[in-house]
Amino acid sequence: MAIAALWSNKLRTALTMLGVIIGITAVIAVTSVGQGVQSQTEANLQGLGADILQVRPGSASSGNVSQGSGSATTLTWDDAQAIGSQVQVAGSVSAYLQQTFQVVYGQNNTSTTILGTDTTYPMVNNLTMQSGRFFTADELTQAQSVVVIGPTLRDELLGVGAEAVGEKIRIQGQRYSVVGVANVKGSQGRQNPDEQAYVPLTNMSARLVGNNALSGIAVQGISVKVSAQDQLEAADFQITNLLRVRHSIYPARGDQDDFQISSAANLVETLSSTVGLFTVMVVAIAGISLVVGGIGIANIMLVSVVERTREIGIRKAIGATNQAILSQFLAEAIAISAAGGFLGVGLGVAIARLAASLFRFPFVVSLWAIGLGVGLSFVIGIVAGVIPARSAAKLDPIVALRSD
Amino acid sequence: MTAMIWMEGIHKTYRLGEVDVSVLKGIDLTIEEGDYVAIMGASGSGKSTLMNIMGCLDRPSAGHYVLEGQNLTTLSNEGLAYVRNQRIGFVFQQFNLLSRSTALENVMLPMVYAGISRRQRQQRAAAALQRVGLGDRMGNRPSQLSGGQQQRVAIARALVNRPALVLADEPTGALDTQTSYEVMALLTELNDQGITVIIVTHEPDIAAQTHRIIHVQDGLLQGEARNHGRTSYPAD
Repeated sequence: MAIAALWSNKLRTALTMLGVIIGITAVIAVTSVGQGVQSQTEANLQGLGADILQVRPGSASSGNVSQGSGSATTLTWDDAQAIGSQVQVAGSVSAYLQQTFQVVYGQNNTSTTILGTDTTYPMVNNLTMQSGRFFTADELTQAQSVVVIGPTLRDELLGVGAEAVGEKIRIQGQRYSVVGVANVKGSQGRQNPDEQAYVPLTNMSARLVGNNALSGIAVQGISVKVSAQDQLEAADFQITNLLRVRHSIYPARGDQDDFQISSAANLVETLSSTVGLFTVMVVAIAGISLVVGGIGIANIMLVSVVERTREIGIRKAIGATNQAILSQFLAEAIAISAAGGFLGVGLGVAIARLAASLFRFPFVVSLWAIGLGVGLSFVIGIVAGVIPARSAAKLDPIVALRSD
Repeated sequence: MTAMIWMEGIHKTYRLGEVDVSVLKGIDLTIEEGDYVAIMGASGSGKSTLMNIMGCLDRPSAGHYVLEGQNLTTLSNEGLAYVRNQRIGFVFQQFNLLSRSTALENVMLPMVYAGISRRQRQQRAAAALQRVGLGDRMGNRPSQLSGGQQQRVAIARALVNRPALVLADEPTGALDTQTSYEVMALLTELNDQGITVIIVTHEPDIAAQTHRIIHVQDGLLQGEARNHGRTSYPAD
């Protein structure tokens, strides 16, 4: 009965539904896209090593002007070794320096990132060798001019798939012997490890950059692979304390840390909360659309009650109770709203699916979002329908019958 | 015969702005079960208000109204709706059919509120339409029916819940003479089957077909007459 009344006024019903459709569509599409993006970024960042802490020098300041993280030379290789030996939850520790240099082999030359590091680097960063070997502890302590090159760099300098071990290349004019070629790792953000070359940290510090601090070899970063992923916070805490002691930093005295510790997990958290915040914001805006949609339904239902006053009178004359009239108009409001809700869910899922395939993130549609959308549309229908339905039910049958 | 309607001291006062308008000023009336009654009076005499009170569409301001032995004066709105649905059938001058529903759906409507199953509703509505001679028009909407046909749909709707009392408010007021007779013939037939029929009219030749004529004037009964031997009409 309620459906029939709505069907005979198709255009008006459709327009009335629009507010609810748009609102529910937005809720479903945004929560779905948000979840897809979130699970995608989480998966991406897992690949970066969720069990690795990065320790970087704190921002140096000249005057009061901060120069950005990593610009100070406050971290040393000694710090890295101290972390390795004194922080129990640190599984393996690797320090590094990096800078871009000219690399030459015969007629070929290119400019690429040279990483000066220690022998634990492959373990911390899951680097494996295609041929040859990584440099040894002896080569590190003796600061020998040996180099491990990435596969892409090998292809560029020596030719695709060429035998590189034993060859000599020049970095910044210095001769280095190639001792190994790394396996393909694939691009990670801005850096492509396949184009890099690795030399002993000691050698890089002495021969390529020469920025020795008083306390030892200055490094640009220390990567700490923790023994287990749930030890990240413990490691963070212990490293912070150790470095404060080593650098004579007393926060109680108002000292600032001269280092920063971050992890991929932090990044995941930050990104997730950003995406989450965005989702909440759009859902809130969609909520406004739902409120407006509800008001639209209430408005149309009030108009409909006035238009159908005579019908209400007839129904009462032949025995409809106030309760029956109330139910009828409430049912109409709920039918409009719920139909809008179902359409909105369908549309929202379709949009989320399209966005997922266009922007290549996993298509996730959560049941709670659909449940929320459908439930919300019912609630809107009830809230919007109650006032018109009550005014219909309270009509005096004689007055209603006399109206035109 | 037991009394279908028993009224005593029925008053009805409307408040129009600052003024109280007294429409019914003390009606005492008894109508026997199975009677066929016409209520006549000029417009503004109070006959329609009396009809509305009889039909439980309105409540008297004072007085007692007993229908089939049940005192309705103190009955709740829900109770009155139940009485309208189960015991009374209405026929209006303007037919008052739902314009967007078919003849069949219109006749089914009272049974919706009586809580009768859909299948039974359809069967009984179809039978009622057959009875008023519209078996072949069940799918038509009111706009696709003539005035006489619409009034016959309304009569089918009035009798489908097997009421004890049919109230007709100017049932022929919007019809031409020929269809008026057809509609009156139907109402007479209902009365012959034992249903109490009360007609409000201002047309003497319509009133003449009933058994008892009651005159209302200025909110009071002004005498009545008994018709013995009914006049015969062409449509009969």
